[in-house]
Amino acid sequence: MSYYNEFTANTQLRLSPFFERTSKLNESQEWRRWSGYLAATNYELTHDNEYFAIRTKAALLDITPLKKYIIEGPDAQRFLDRLVTRNIGICKVGQVMYTPWCDEDGKQIDDGTVQRLSENKFRITSAEPNLEWIQFNATGMDLSITDDSYATAALALQGPNSRAILNAVASDKLDSLKFFWLMNTTFGHTPVSISRTGYTGDLGYEIWMDLKDALTVWDLLLEKGKSYGITPTGLHALDIARIEAGLILLDVDYISSRHAIIESRKSSPYELGLGWAVKMKKKDFIGKQALEAEAARGPEWDFVGIEIQWDELEQHFRKAGLAPGLPCTAWRTSTPLFKGNEQVGYATSGAWSPILKRYISLAHVKSQFAREGSELMFELKVEHFRKFTPAKVVKTPFFDPERKRSCPV
Amino acid sequence: MPGVKKYDAIVIGGGHNGLTAAAYLSRAGKKVLVLERRYVLGGAAVTEEIFSGFKFSVCSYVVSLMKPNVMRELMLPKFGLELLPLESTFTPLDNDYLIRTADADETYREIARHCLRDAETYMRFGPLMGQIGMAVRPILETIAPNAIRPSLSDLSKAKKLLDHFKTLSSEQFEYLTKLMTMSSADFLDEWFEFEPLKASMSASGIIGTFMGPRSPGSAYVMLHHYMGDIDGAFRAWGFQRGGTGAVSMAIARSAEHFGAEIMTEAPVEKIIVKNGKAVGVVLENGDEYKSEMVISGLDPKLTFLKMVDESDLPSNFVTDIKNFRIRGSSGKVNLALDGLPNFTCLPGEGHHLRGAISISPSYDHLEQAYDDAKYGDFSQAPYMDIILPSVLDPEMAPPGKHVMSCFVQYAPYDIKGGWNEQKREAFGDAVVNTIARYAPNIKDIILHRQVLTPADLESTFGLTEGNIFHGELTLQQLFAMRPAVKWADYSTPIKNYYQCGSGTHPGGGITGSPGEMAAKKILGIWS
Amino acid sequence: MSQYDVIVIGGGVNSLVAANMLGKDGKKVLVLESRDQVGGLASTIEFIPGFKCNVINDVVQWIDPRVMDKLYLESHGLELIQPDVPRIALGENDNHIAFHCDPNQTAESIANHSEKDAQVWQEFTEYIQKLAQFLEKLYALTPPNLPNVGLKDAFGMRSMLGPIRKHGTRGLVDLMRVTPMMMPELVNEWFENELLRTAVSTAGIHHSSFGPFAAGTGYNLLHQHVHGGGVFHNAQFVKGGTGELANVLSSSAESAGVEIRTDAKVDAINVENGICYGVTLNDGRPIQADQIISGLDPNNTFINLVGPSNLNPNFHTQLKNIRYRGSTARIHFALNGLPEINGVLADQLGTVFSIAPSIEYLERASDAVKYGRLPENPYVEFTIPSVINPDFAPNGKHVLSATVQYAPYHLRDQQWSDELKSQLKENVIRVLENYAPRISSKIKSSTVLSPIDLESQFGLTEGNLNHGEMTLDQFMFMRPTMSTAQYKTPIDNLFLCGPGTHPGGGLHGTNGFNAAREMLK
Repeated sequence: MSYYNEFTANTQLRLSPFFERTSKLNESQEWRRWSGYLAATNYELTHDNEYFAIRTKAALLDITPLKKYIIEGPDAQRFLDRLVTRNIGICKVGQVMYTPWCDEDGKQIDDGTVQRLSENKFRITSAEPNLEWIQFNATGMDLSITDDSYATAALALQGPNSRAILNAVASDKLDSLKFFWLMNTTFGHTPVSISRTGYTGDLGYEIWMDLKDALTVWDLLLEKGKSYGITPTGLHALDIARIEAGLILLDVDYISSRHAIIESRKSSPYELGLGWAVKMKKKDFIGKQALEAEAARGPEWDFVGIEIQWDELEQHFRKAGLAPGLPCTAWRTSTPLFKGNEQVGYATSGAWSPILKRYISLAHVKSQFAREGSELMFELKVEHFRKFTPAKVVKTPFFDPERKRSCPV
Repeated sequence: MPGVKKYDAIVIGGGHNGLTAAAYLSRAGKKVLVLERRYVLGGAAVTEEIFSGFKFSVCSYVVSLMKPNVMRELMLPKFGLELLPLESTFTPLDNDYLIRTADADETYREIARHCLRDAETYMRFGPLMGQIGMAVRPILETIAPNAIRPSLSDLSKAKKLLDHFKTLSSEQFEYLTKLMTMSSADFLDEWFEFEPLKASMSASGIIGTFMGPRSPGSAYVMLHHYMGDIDGAFRAWGFQRGGTGAVSMAIARSAEHFGAEIMTEAPVEKIIVKNGKAVGVVLENGDEYKSEMVISGLDPKLTFLKMVDESDLPSNFVTDIKNFRIRGSSGKVNLALDGLPNFTCLPGEGHHLRGAISISPSYDHLEQAYDDAKYGDFSQAPYMDIILPSVLDPEMAPPGKHVMSCFVQYAPYDIKGGWNEQKREAFGDAVVNTIARYAPNIKDIILHRQVLTPADLESTFGLTEGNIFHGELTLQQLFAMRPAVKWADYSTPIKNYYQCGSGTHPGGGITGSPGEMAAKKILGIWS
Repeated sequence: MSQYDVIVIGGGVNSLVAANMLGKDGKKVLVLESRDQVGGLASTIEFIPGFKCNVINDVVQWIDPRVMDKLYLESHGLELIQPDVPRIALGENDNHIAFHCDPNQTAESIANHSEKDAQVWQEFTEYIQKLAQFLEKLYALTPPNLPNVGLKDAFGMRSMLGPIRKHGTRGLVDLMRVTPMMMPELVNEWFENELLRTAVSTAGIHHSSFGPFAAGTGYNLLHQHVHGGGVFHNAQFVKGGTGELANVLSSSAESAGVEIRTDAKVDAINVENGICYGVTLNDGRPIQADQIISGLDPNNTFINLVGPSNLNPNFHTQLKNIRYRGSTARIHFALNGLPEINGVLADQLGTVFSIAPSIEYLERASDAVKYGRLPENPYVEFTIPSVINPDFAPNGKHVLSATVQYAPYHLRDQQWSDELKSQLKENVIRVLENYAPRISSKIKSSTVLSPIDLESQFGLTEGNLNHGEMTLDQFMFMRPTMSTAQYKTPIDNLFLCGPGTHPGGGLHGTNGFNAAREMLK
């Protein structure tokens, strides 16, 4: 079923190098702003197929709007070790690390990946622009900083078939590329670098390329991937997948301390469930003293997965004479969580997980109520009326397939 | 019949603050008379059809700082207040331009075109200034205390403000201190690199002020202009449909709705003072009006040095008022146009004509303009804040024609040799030539030109020395010192004589604030 | 085990005052001075064989009386020379204004220009003295930690009540009025004669990058009058040269057991995990100490010696934003004979001369800073130190030292070079010749110190003589930054005592005194 209906329109927003393709594939013409870019919300009229592509086939996402910075020079590693909370010293060439970074008060500014491209060359990806912060903190160090955001295009290929597709396209086999590692290869004559990373919690890769090669790479992937079910995928599907994977999103689940305006909006990595990424044995890094103090006294908040209990939820709807009606996309409205009469937390994003058949959400919860199994009440609106329904703190990721980390060889 | 009727209060001057005070007093059930010297109400916030078919906000031209509670309490939307957003600030450059709009993505991208780092910083700067604005707000909303002999309520006010400042984060306090004392250029240099961006932002630190962007103290004026952002829901700058005179008319109608009487062409000669008490006024034509209170919306120089005899005032107060600095520094050029200006750097029509056009390509441009004035001449290449009201409100000009409002700095009141016809025209030429540098077609489309020098602003609008703020917004002329220490709470050394103009706390701009707070102070005394 | 209790970095006046205080308290103190002699801004050197000059400061405006008393400087040999006429403003047609210690005599001199001004002169000096008294109390305090002032801080400010009791709240209000003022505003309220107005204005721009039209010059003017005893813009010479002040401080320190090393340049302040434990000298030798106090400016202390990677980002931002912008140059002339100045008798030469015919003249000179160029007609202030200290020059020969504003550190489209320095010198000579017509024929030799020279020779960032501009945004609790205004720093065991701290520049020693008090708390 297709009706010919072509149009062009002007926009003040930035267009990704893939837009020439994505604009024609986007049958819904639903777009969202992402870092000043026009980004597809969903390509089809509903996002279901795209979501299942992530979990059962292969989904292709344009992630060019991510911010990318190249740090290069003799002091690059020393600088990154000062900037981020994880130990970059143990990051080998070809390895990638996910890490948060903080201000001096130990409050999180952003999170992203650090790729070690060579001994003295790294690429940082982040959600928001971080150039000012990176440059300022590199004062006096022997290195260069390049904002590579507009010069490098990026795609995410996520899903169980992603490896097979890349094996079919790339001149090297990816079978031995481990989780959070990186390799350089070519698609025909086109050089690309591929990291085994992603924002879906599934087997998946991110492909980094020069701007001018963007369309060649896109076309090759779609052509070779067709028989594997490759599906251009938008942000709606991604949002559900990342919640299932328990991955936080800046400006949704937390606010950068650089933009938070008030103290109570700021969160430390401990308060975002990223305590594991704070390496205290490392020499001084920005925020270390504050984080040490916080660790010693115990963080005030925790960040947890919440499962909203189905039976009680269903009861609420049944009482109103309805079948349970849940939003079909992920939501991002802050929702109160109670223990008795006291509000002890708030959920920042949530979704019905189509693969798990569970209603899940990510939430900030006061530490003493954040233990696994802790029972809370989740605020719910049923036919305009406010209800409370039980929810339980559970382990994240909600969805964690073995294929995410495993290698066939 | 004059001389018979007795009013609770007479307000001298039908400017927006005088009208606001009158409206508040009437609203409280008082019998109020407003006396305006000119044929039209509004003072510096007037709309006049200077050339047939072309309407101008002759003097004050944008509304940014009008207090939302004044709008609500006086029901101004009901009486015609309609503020249209000014969407952008456009800075033409010789071979390029800079435009900042209301959209964060668009502005980020535009600034990033010039300087990536600045684009990022800009996103942090706005919210910070908003926070500082919030921090200052309690001061703006407090009736200034008597710093010489504080009353109990003054002390409790001071305590409240101190407690408030203790709640600020040290970052906020640090930036507040800097904004109170630094030059806007030095302050912005701490944040930004791209000069046209800094120059355009610093320009709000010099408006209405005899200072350059590198003069310490200009950062505060910049903050004063950021206060418009306080309520979040409001864009910093707005244009009143029908011109700023329509704001004054809305307040006047509100006042009348509450029962105030308003007389135009009724110039007041003197306050009648008996036994140290104001008891009424006498007009230039000899008519007398009696009232319990007299409130002056005029600037401090006129309020105290013209409306009353020096002998009725304490001598050190007279000294303070004489020392009150009110140097005029700006002029206004109003143009009736046959079409729209065409900017070389961004030809044609577009967003950029719907906002402010700022002729501020560099600090040097602004500083050189200031240097000219500092040494007693008008700026050969002035700084200008230009808007095209007819683009926002087509009724301001005949179909297809346009009006252009150019706020110009610097034009010193004390120009060497004094202002005359010839100098006024030369000043007008300097303005047009400066615009022509960026929009060469301007000379061909001018149908009429009105040039207002500070001397004209003084003679037409009764602004002493042509100062649009009724006195400079320098640190030593703020809060408890505005207009003079001990008399900063709207009262005066003469009993029953009050002041409510921009020369009182919290200062100039179409805010309605001095009028509102003065009225509240007076009502407090009455109750 | 540390070798010293305290290491003092820098051998300037404030460092030596701090070392004295700490030594007297029984601490084992080491002072490290990078140059071959102590003194810093209070140095006297032989600039060409046989001719000496006070490199930077020919006179002291005031010395903290607590320093004088507690360190017994007079008994250690400090001799201050108070001229009857500390300052002469040179005017047209030999019609100068002589500023005497006695305001009545000054008024007589002013009367030649304006009767009206002469009548208010005494009132004016009393007014300024009244305001300066508030600063005197304020200067003796450690600034409070704003905005979180506690009861303790408030209690600590109680000494401010003295002047309030004496002058009423009106006095405090006047202080609030005058500090943010610009010079024309202040003088407009008092005087009509332009030479007098200008002479008063010069106190507001002393060692500043701003011109008289800058708001806040009121504060700088008051700063020159602290402990001035009512003398307008006072100037005291030091017997033997300004360097003697440092020598006296240094011998008094040594008698208190302080070890002073010259030619000992510190290369790094050693910090780990936010704790300071010593310094490394430029020969690579580390020296450990329990506490370090730096008399250097904040930029040298933190950016150059501690290093940005040991600074937290917020503090680093604050440091980066300190304005230095040195705009003062010094020129020393070796003269073949005593200069003749029109209308000035030979016995009146032991004073400070200022050349500034109008406020506009000063302002135009200051415009040079904005545009990064040399002023055509600079503001020149000069002394003939060899008149006071004859050993400064061989018999019959003399030295003339000029302070020149404005000579901006930051130039546009050009750099400080020998050519530019000689251009500056020519401009200064031309200005001098208006009042001392035969001066150029007497010049035997000269040396020009540009802000760049001051930076490289005296470690003054951007050549700023106050270790940071003396402006209201860098005043009291903001000096040098909000996080270091109590002489403590975000780095444990590291303290500051230089002019970059409260209460700013000058040879008064207050900073060192206050800082040592904080360390001994």
